[in-house]
Amino acid sequence: MICENCKQRPAKVTVTQIQDGTHVQRHYCEKCAQNFHPFHLDFQQDPLSLHQLLSNWFGAPESAQVQQKQQLQPKIPPCSSCGWTFRQFLNEGKFGCAHCYESFREQLPSVFKKLHNGNVKHVGKAPGKFGHKLQLKKQIEAIRTSMQAAIGIENFEEAAKLRDEARELEKQLQSGGEPPDVN
Amino acid sequence: MSIERFLNNSVTSWMADEGEHADIVMSTRIRLARNLTGYRFPLSFSENEALQVDQAVSAVLLDAESELESTFSYIDIKGLSTLNRQVLVEKHLISPKLAHSEVTGSVLLSDDEAISVMVNEEDHIRIQCIFPGLQLLEAWHQANNIDDMLEKELPYAFDEQFGYLTSCPTNSGTGLRASVMMHLPALTMTNQMNRLVTTITRLGMVVRGIYGEGSEALGNVYQISNQTTLGKSEEDILTDLQSITEQIIQKEREARNALLNTRPNVLEDRLYRSLGVLTYARILTTEEAGRCLSDVRLGIDLGLIKGVDVSILNECMIFMQPGFLQKYAGMSLQSEERDVFRAKLFRERLQVDNNLNNEGEEPHDV
Repeated sequence: MICENCKQRPAKVTVTQIQDGTHVQRHYCEKCAQNFHPFHLDFQQDPLSLHQLLSNWFGAPESAQVQQKQQLQPKIPPCSSCGWTFRQFLNEGKFGCAHCYESFREQLPSVFKKLHNGNVKHVGKAPGKFGHKLQLKKQIEAIRTSMQAAIGIENFEEAAKLRDEARELEKQLQSGGEPPDVN
Repeated sequence: MSIERFLNNSVTSWMADEGEHADIVMSTRIRLARNLTGYRFPLSFSENEALQVDQAVSAVLLDAESELESTFSYIDIKGLSTLNRQVLVEKHLISPKLAHSEVTGSVLLSDDEAISVMVNEEDHIRIQCIFPGLQLLEAWHQANNIDDMLEKELPYAFDEQFGYLTSCPTNSGTGLRASVMMHLPALTMTNQMNRLVTTITRLGMVVRGIYGEGSEALGNVYQISNQTTLGKSEEDILTDLQSITEQIIQKEREARNALLNTRPNVLEDRLYRSLGVLTYARILTTEEAGRCLSDVRLGIDLGLIKGVDVSILNECMIFMQPGFLQKYAGMSLQSEERDVFRAKLFRERLQVDNNLNNEGEEPHDV
């Protein structure tokens, strides 16, 4: 039997189509079949599965980069808390414990970039005390900016007031981010 | 509280035929991944750590019932038979990973099954909220509330740069996975799904079959969720998913209208044939049942099929899975035997419905 489409090559693939409830069988060569029916393959090519991403990253074309990096930093010490190595993290695609993030802090941005669309820094919800710290930092920054502006227009009285405000907040930040009047 | 109810009842809250765009969006799920400081992640921790985490989390949650206005049942996974674990997986109340767990782990289920908090899955804590229809914000608020409550009592692993620290780097940051389960028969029939999947993927979303990672789109049900969890706020993640979902809904509606307008007879014939198969078949494979369920559901949505309740179809979708079938049969079943029982189950459920509509009809033979 020859291919129904190109009528040249031998038909090697039988495709059963179900159209409006009736089965239609078609016989194609491998080449034509590929062109006609790419849909069965699509779900296997989930381009976003983590394993694939990490193994691609670690595997074929880019492995050279990784190896280079690892040669540049010959020893990334294993995580001091769970004992996992960076290589183990890459192989499993998982962290062993929360401290791994600290242990591999320098290597992680390049991993996250690939997994999260180029992003390397968290934006969004933070647990209460961290949230408060972040807020404090932002507040201090804002006060400093207005302080500079005040200096710019030679309003030193206002600038001094702002400086004191910023200092007060910094003290809070250093004492663990808790406001002085904790309820 | 007896857990039998969770195991024997195939109806669960997210299947209710309500919520926005319920004809296309079957359910909305929000999942938050959280870990505690001081314990290694479940992948590498000891049984002793597992036990401590389990006790700490369940104590806090059970203590906060009144505050959360929900009653929780604590279900120890190790205490469940393999079959019962599978049943919970099939209702999407626990993940396959937790079902296969070898260390102490549990799930805390709210009475209406809308909230499930898994302990010692891949992460110490997985908060999951499932709502019917398209209700991303509603589900997020629910999950966020539980998160706030747990956070007050438990020390979370968090880092200013990397956000919530999770076992898998694909969850780092917000730890938020938002998903919508969509029934897209018309887009599938008109061969538009491939292109759509490619586009959705480019927009940073993931498309999967209904039964999770690696599963095919059985019954034309697709699960669409966010891929990025780092560098995007919760609100942005939800807004983006909402807008993509709305666009897909619109495309599906257009495709449905096109199908209805071009060859209504052919379409009606196909949908009724499927109803016939579900009502009278003696052997039903998962694939065929999935396909026919999708057709009948479409028939109801388009107003072509009347007298069949969508909630029965939803129930069948859950009940047709291996775990539930074996519970129903009261014994373990081989694959071919399951196909026979599946057919029997569909006949019963659909005939019950028919009998209500046509009184006096001969009772069926099972």
